[in-house]
Amino acid sequence: MPDTGADAPPALSLSGLSRSFGDTRALDDVSLDIREGEFFTVVGPSGSGKTTLLRILAGLDRPTAGTLHLRGRDIAGLPPNKRPTAMVFQSLALFDHRSVGENVAFALKMRGVGAEARRTKALELLDLVRLPRDYHDRPVTQCSGGERQRVALARALASDPEILFFDEPLSALDYRLRKTLEVELRDLQKRTGRTFVYITHSLEEAMVMSDRIGIMRDGRLVQVGDPATIYGRPRDRFVARFMGEVNVFEIAGGRLPAFDAPAPAQDGWLIVRPEALAPDAGDVQFDATVTDIYRLGSRVQMHLDTAAGTLIAELPASTRLAEGDAARFGFAVADTHRVAE
Amino acid sequence: MIRRLGLVWLTALIALMYLPILSVILASLSTSRYMRFPHRQWSTGAYVDAVSQDQTWILHATSFKIAALVAVLSLILATFGAMAFARYDWRGRSWFQKAVVLPIFFPQPVLGLALLLFLTAIGVTPSWRSAVFAHMVWILPIVTLVISIRLFGYDPAQEDAARDLGATRWQTFREVTLPHLAPGMVSGGLFAFLLSWSNLPLSIFTTGADTTLPEYMFTRVATNYAPVISAIAVIATLGSVALGLVLLLALRLRRRS
Repeated sequence: MPDTGADAPPALSLSGLSRSFGDTRALDDVSLDIREGEFFTVVGPSGSGKTTLLRILAGLDRPTAGTLHLRGRDIAGLPPNKRPTAMVFQSLALFDHRSVGENVAFALKMRGVGAEARRTKALELLDLVRLPRDYHDRPVTQCSGGERQRVALARALASDPEILFFDEPLSALDYRLRKTLEVELRDLQKRTGRTFVYITHSLEEAMVMSDRIGIMRDGRLVQVGDPATIYGRPRDRFVARFMGEVNVFEIAGGRLPAFDAPAPAQDGWLIVRPEALAPDAGDVQFDATVTDIYRLGSRVQMHLDTAAGTLIAELPASTRLAEGDAARFGFAVADTHRVAE
Repeated sequence: MIRRLGLVWLTALIALMYLPILSVILASLSTSRYMRFPHRQWSTGAYVDAVSQDQTWILHATSFKIAALVAVLSLILATFGAMAFARYDWRGRSWFQKAVVLPIFFPQPVLGLALLLFLTAIGVTPSWRSAVFAHMVWILPIVTLVISIRLFGYDPAQEDAARDLGATRWQTFREVTLPHLAPGMVSGGLFAFLLSWSNLPLSIFTTGADTTLPEYMFTRVATNYAPVISAIAVIATLGSVALGLVLLLALRLRRRS
């Protein structure tokens, strides 16, 4: 991340941003500073307001309340074409009646840049996103899914934006291609030193690429932090569940009623990650029967039938436990995390 | 065998479709006012008459004026109508969609009579101008539908993308929306012109003292036929064929460039 000094204004500063559609509040009082050169990802289930947030940041929608500053400058009233930002759309929104080169150089054409200069710049951008130069004159309709991604990326970069927005652009691709592009995107962000704001519903995608993650729920930003914090210290059960499979136990009167064991707090909920459960280990132990086993490559996930209901454990693939086995499982309270709600 | 039958069937179909046009051409080469075949005497005299009489050109001018205006006005209105029809979601859209296509279901003579009564009621003297209006009532919905088809399966995010990349609203329309609609607009405009050019039932009621080509042919065939009528019909057909060819050629040249 480039050192911008402590006094440098944030790349984007959102304060009290809200957006209502009739009676529904799609965005509810969102405040957030996005740092210069940061890869920031907003994660949330569909309908959580993340697309609305991104559209407001890009100027394609107007907030009903709140302010928006870009490097200290108020941009809330600027139309999208006057904002120094560019977006990669979920549908990619490529101009399908144009060639790859015309798509890439569109922003330059709008600025009145001449045909020769446009071509030169477009070819440079094709290099940057690792597309062969002879794609320049090809119709975009002849490009594959991954190639279209790269065209969309090059097109957004062509306007030399201060901030790039991404609206789940990888969601339609197959797993392998998505993985490749995730790494490339992260790499591109580091090489160009630009601020990226990315939205996705995939925790995995967010974890791989982001410097910081913001979790959205029902139009609100419920937690912001680096991936390790969000994963290890979720703010509440919603964030914990969203960040992967978890076991949740209620705490009442300083005890865990499910196991009749002492709890580290008076009330709230105890979050126990599947990897924290192990046979014959920890200070809270219980009897369990293995009901299902799912192989995840180097690890296995198993469903345990216990007095506390069905629990999920994740063990190294070398485990000898098989479906139907009975065993004594447990976890160390020190490896758990307690949330209030 | 099946293949050969198919070929025969296709040939017969095409022949049956074009035979009436051929018979008009044959009729125009006669000297007799009675339709009889084979002709006793072949002649191109009807064409000489048709070309030399002013009325032929007045008829063409009237029909052309109406058809050209209908095409241009329909194209403009239908383009925006199609956007309202298929592109934007707004309160009352489903009502609008039904209202727009309704005139197509009216039998044209009924529509023509209704329009005549309406024009009289509001004190407009029927002329070729009111025929433009009448034709549009029926043709505009068709052109709107033809252009709308282009908008289904169109990703409106392309317009957002253009705006995001620095295009003004007008540039967005010119660079993104219009090129996408263009094929629909070409066929819509062509449809509008040809439907108006050949329209009889609406013209009969609404042209007043002016006469279009189809009206003239209809009345003359009914009352006072002469080979010159067929000759004029052939000339008018050649006109629309020429228009189609010019458009095809223009499209091909554009695609090449």
